Amino acid sequence: MKKVLAVLLTVTMVLGLLGSVAMAEDKIKITMWHIQDDDNAKVIYTDAAARFMADYPNVEVEVVDMQNDIYKDKIAIAMAAGELPDIFLSWSGGPMIEYATNGIILDLTAYMEEDNYKDKFLDAGIAQGTYDGKIWGIPGENVSAALFFYDKDFFAANGFEVPTTIAELETLADACLAIGVYPFALANLTKWTGSMYYMYLVARIGGGSAFDKAANQIDGGTFESEPFEMAGEYIQKWVKAGYFNDGFNSANEDDDIARWLLYNNQAAMYLMGNWAINTTADINPDFLDKMGVFAFPAYEGGTGDPDAVVGTVGDNFYHIAASCENPDMAFKFLQYTLDDTAIATRVAIGKIPPVKGVENMITDENLKQVLDVVSASSGVQLWYDQYLPSSVAQVHLETLQAMFGLAMTPAEADALLQEANTEALSE
Amino acid sequence: MIQNPSLLGRRKKREIARTALLFSLPALFFIVVFIFYPIVNSFWISLHSWKGIEPTMKWAGLANWAKLIKDKSFFNALKNNLKIVILSLLIQMPIGMALATLLDATGKKMNAFKIAWFLPYLMSSVAIGYLFRYAFDPIFGIITPISKLFGGGAVDLLGSSTNALYTVISVICWQYTPFYMVYYLAGLSSIPTDLYEAAIIDGAKRRQYFFRIVIPLLFPTIRNACILSIVGSLKYFDLIFVMTEGGPFGSTELMATYMYKNAFQSMKMSYGSTIAMGMFFIITTVSILLLFVLTRKEKDA
Amino acid sequence: MMKKILFRTLIGILCVIWLVICVFPFLFMVITTFKTHTEMMSLGVFALPRTFHFDNYVTLIQSSRFLRYVLNSMTVVPISLLLILATSSMASYPLARLKYRFHGLNYSVILAGMAIPIHVTLIPVFLMTKRLGLYDSIWALVGPYVAFNIPLSVFILTGFMTGIPHYLEEAAEIDGCGRTRTFLSVILPLAIPGMATLSIYNSVIMWNEFSFALVLTQSEANRTLPMAMWDYKGRYTSNTPMIMTILTLSAIPMIVAFFIGQDKLIKGMIAGAVKG
Repeated sequence: MKKVLAVLLTVTMVLGLLGSVAMAEDKIKITMWHIQDDDNAKVIYTDAAARFMADYPNVEVEVVDMQNDIYKDKIAIAMAAGELPDIFLSWSGGPMIEYATNGIILDLTAYMEEDNYKDKFLDAGIAQGTYDGKIWGIPGENVSAALFFYDKDFFAANGFEVPTTIAELETLADACLAIGVYPFALANLTKWTGSMYYMYLVARIGGGSAFDKAANQIDGGTFESEPFEMAGEYIQKWVKAGYFNDGFNSANEDDDIARWLLYNNQAAMYLMGNWAINTTADINPDFLDKMGVFAFPAYEGGTGDPDAVVGTVGDNFYHIAASCENPDMAFKFLQYTLDDTAIATRVAIGKIPPVKGVENMITDENLKQVLDVVSASSGVQLWYDQYLPSSVAQVHLETLQAMFGLAMTPAEADALLQEANTEALSE
Repeated sequence: MIQNPSLLGRRKKREIARTALLFSLPALFFIVVFIFYPIVNSFWISLHSWKGIEPTMKWAGLANWAKLIKDKSFFNALKNNLKIVILSLLIQMPIGMALATLLDATGKKMNAFKIAWFLPYLMSSVAIGYLFRYAFDPIFGIITPISKLFGGGAVDLLGSSTNALYTVISVICWQYTPFYMVYYLAGLSSIPTDLYEAAIIDGAKRRQYFFRIVIPLLFPTIRNACILSIVGSLKYFDLIFVMTEGGPFGSTELMATYMYKNAFQSMKMSYGSTIAMGMFFIITTVSILLLFVLTRKEKDA
Repeated sequence: MMKKILFRTLIGILCVIWLVICVFPFLFMVITTFKTHTEMMSLGVFALPRTFHFDNYVTLIQSSRFLRYVLNSMTVVPISLLLILATSSMASYPLARLKYRFHGLNYSVILAGMAIPIHVTLIPVFLMTKRLGLYDSIWALVGPYVAFNIPLSVFILTGFMTGIPHYLEEAAEIDGCGRTRTFLSVILPLAIPGMATLSIYNSVIMWNEFSFALVLTQSEANRTLPMAMWDYKGRYTSNTPMIMTILTLSAIPMIVAFFIGQDKLIKGMIAGAVKG
């Protein structure tokens, strides 16, 4: 018995050691983690790696793809253990700033300015990857904006018209209820879904500066100001009026519940980022022809911005870790993942890469409309839960969910958020 | 014990201790490397202020611990854990015992039932979470149609802060009762059949046999099952996270989910470690206390 | 007589009710595997599919990636289980049968080992694994899997071993057996119901374990079965029927293992051993 044990343990250890010895070569090694794990998206990176290694035979590139949620856990652990891959990503905003201020990622400004490489990208994307005057991340994947999705045929059949003001939206909602249909499809267990309504309401009522000032505590901005409180009140008014589907606060966005309410015409409108188009193409392509989009309606009488767009210009932002031994090579490889071939592939699979001139490459109707909305806006407000520091983002999501559930008043939620933000900023 | 220990010579005692150590060595090796070291490491982190990002940690002394003692969310989570502890004991133990007794008495004839009854335990928590998420959905699930049959409206169990925890507890009981069924069955199978036959000959009825002979014999098994259940309930994470993520409004927040959120989502790694250490101390203390108190009771009996 | 029949019928009904409760969700899972992603929500989540597509199963069985995951799980779990049974039975013996000075401490260490929340150990173990060069290999999983299941296994097995009658050991000692012989030929065989329980318990845990699998492996070639479902979970949607298929296929080996192992839980083991 003991002998068997000893043998087993030795075998395990020897195998392990063999594995580590095998890798002692002289090549430069670069590792990259990304989350484009769909079969048709993965190839962008494996192709880029192949092309890069052909041009630079002394470099070995290891590209690892993983699912979104898995990535979040793994990168947190890798970071805590100090074992980051050379290239990894964030969604910009608060976390990216944390990485920058703690010296985890490299300042890419010099690389980006060389040959004016940064000019290739949309200015808004570069701006999102910038902090403190330096560029920390390259906008790499997708331009996303949140819009209302609806069934054009369904609207036509019921004589509904696309609302242009919030008042019209509410009238439309009442009309939906009258015919036994939920106005809004929402799955808010995941919390960020409900945040979209909130973010737009704040932007429409108070303008983009309201959030900006409150988050950065400049110019006397605070979360306890009017736009936030009014946004909360609107949401609670809508919840009480029954505008959202039953059980929205326990429905998980991943479970397709909100989407199917829209597809089955059990709900009329679905506020979501434009990736909903890709998802629909995936699980219910028949619906694509009927699917239309419209921007969040304007708020009459507010000092807000009727054109403000909530979303992201870039989606995934790629960073080079400070621990990378060959940042020059790593950056060069990144350029290969964003070269014309790669960009074309991204367009082909239904994304809007954040590069200048992308509007000429897009052919899909709905995506064109998304781009129009984004171009017409004065700026894209990054999703709050990405923009704010992680601890504050969590408070935002949880208090918002409580507000949706009528368990907290807007005033209470705002106070908690303000408190968390102040605490985070003072560190 | 084999011999009365007080009569053993000192050499014999040392020899026994040495044997004990030798036998325990392999297990101790694994425990020290993979459990002990992380515990010490975690405790060390709890004495610092660290987001999990910076390469260096700042010393914070007992600041995190002071925060933990005053943390309402933590005690709310602990309260939820206690609810799970109590309800699990009240539901899983009796049902498990009942099923086990039945299976023990009927033997091979009920094999099909045994396997079917064991199915819930075989499914991973993720699988179960997914299934019941759909089952409890107010629009697409099965609870609402049933309630409508009885004239009710749409029922949102997981979205209501009063019902969510009990709903999840029912799923937990569904999942774990089979384990206790098997555990008690193993315990029952070590009771020799002659005992039963002897009791019948002595004129005992089945119920008397069960309560006067089986239960006392099974006391160690029952005690251990209770400790297992309590420890499991206090540590619980998987199913809750998949089904409710700790919501709504913290009504299903457990110590483990609260710890996870702090460590991995809010970039409060050091506070997360503190919560984990707090959990560890609570669970260890409870289980050691229970074990020694209940063992003493057993000796008195 | 009437009372007995009534009683038996009542028990029978309760058995069937509990059976339905146990089986129904499993049935739902299996039914879902026969639908396509689109069909699942359009038909109604709990409705029967119009035609029984086996496409999901075909896709998985033909996927070399999936088969790799299965192979990896089938390697890691049995090896870890053997190690657990060996180390736990050895560690339970002194706790159950011997009296020595640090007995209490020993037991407390075991209990403490049961109390550790797993997330706390992820980072140190990750770091350790990376330093040893074992990162992204299935062998990295063996250590943690064994270590985390030892405390509970020792606890359970100690309980079972304590119940073994003393006269058997004394008989062995009279026959001239040393401690090791006694352990191997007397105690272990009698602890088989306990070992069977442990095997079932540990196998299920390790087969479905995903925290360490997530942290310690990276490339597709080294992932285990629980990671398979992430291949079908996109960023905003999950291909639920496919995931259910994976979960169903994952459950089958466990069911088979239980079918084989549960034989050992039947009474009569003790009787046989005593006579033999």
